[in-house]
Amino acid sequence: MLIRLLLLGALGLIGYQVFLRRRRLPVHIVLVLGMLLLAGLAVLFPDMTTVVANRLGVGRGADLVNYLVEVGLLFIVIHYYAKFVELQEQITVLAREIALLRERQERLGAAARGTGAGSNAPSS
Amino acid sequence: MGAVVSGLTRGAWRVVVVDDGSADDTAEAARGAGATVLRHILNLGQGAALQTGIDFAVAEGAERIVTFDADGQHDPADIPALLAALDAGADVALGSRFLGAMEGVSRPRALLLRIAVAVSNTISGVHFSDAHCGLRALRASVAPALRITQERMAHASELLRNIRTQRLRVVEVPITVRYTAYSRSKGQGVLQGLRILFDYFLRRSGRPPRERPC
Repeated sequence: MLIRLLLLGALGLIGYQVFLRRRRLPVHIVLVLGMLLLAGLAVLFPDMTTVVANRLGVGRGADLVNYLVEVGLLFIVIHYYAKFVELQEQITVLAREIALLRERQERLGAAARGTGAGSNAPSS
Repeated sequence: MGAVVSGLTRGAWRVVVVDDGSADDTAEAARGAGATVLRHILNLGQGAALQTGIDFAVAEGAERIVTFDADGQHDPADIPALLAALDAGADVALGSRFLGAMEGVSRPRALLLRIAVAVSNTISGVHFSDAHCGLRALRASVAPALRITQERMAHASELLRNIRTQRLRVVEVPITVRYTAYSRSKGQGVLQGLRILFDYFLRRSGRPPRERPC
């Protein structure tokens, strides 16, 4: 069937991408490749998912796959939200540091020129 | 902007203005009026701007720090009372417009402010007559304990939570707030209020920022 070919091709491509980007711990890679293998098996033998689903108390294999995908996507969204917040905090720290450094630089520059910018002179 | 800064420099305090990435001549006006200007190259929000100003003041060896909104709603004449509260032993002195006075406030806005106070008291676990007043004074020694990480407006509730968890001595000081057309345009409406709440809970449940030794 054409759909199987398409799905297997996509899974293979994902696996190749993951393999190319193998900078992380091998554990991550093994985990991802393992999941891809399971997905590949589900594509080749769809009835297998129904067997597993029945064991877990779900009627159809397709439903089980659906649930897993939903939970997985939510997990990914939360993961990236946390990353996003962390990044925002880091940007804040950087911009603050630049603001403080520039102020000091301007003050030192004014002092060096001897223009005596009275209001900006250090108070202590 | 210039008028607000001049009102403060008349009191012989050192004035620090944080320009949160504005594109107009805010920085020039403030500098011209005698303030030290710190400029964020990006707009980071009021919480981040406050923290930048506090960091600078602490680095400059300030003993007492007063935060003051730049939209003209506060009165420099209220500052001595806040500082007196610190001298009397408080770590933090919070301005309260509900103990003091509000000028030029519309009824819906007053109601909204009351609701905001009630919500803030509930979630921060401390009870004050005014929660989100921008006019406050603090000892430099407690600045690290009050560290603000919320970039936008939820920082006020965060500050109160820090006050509670660090068991700081707090007093409220009556102040006068003057709402002008300009300050109203800069103020917060219902929608922003909801957004603040959203920010507060999301950030709170998030991982705390990692401390990196330098």
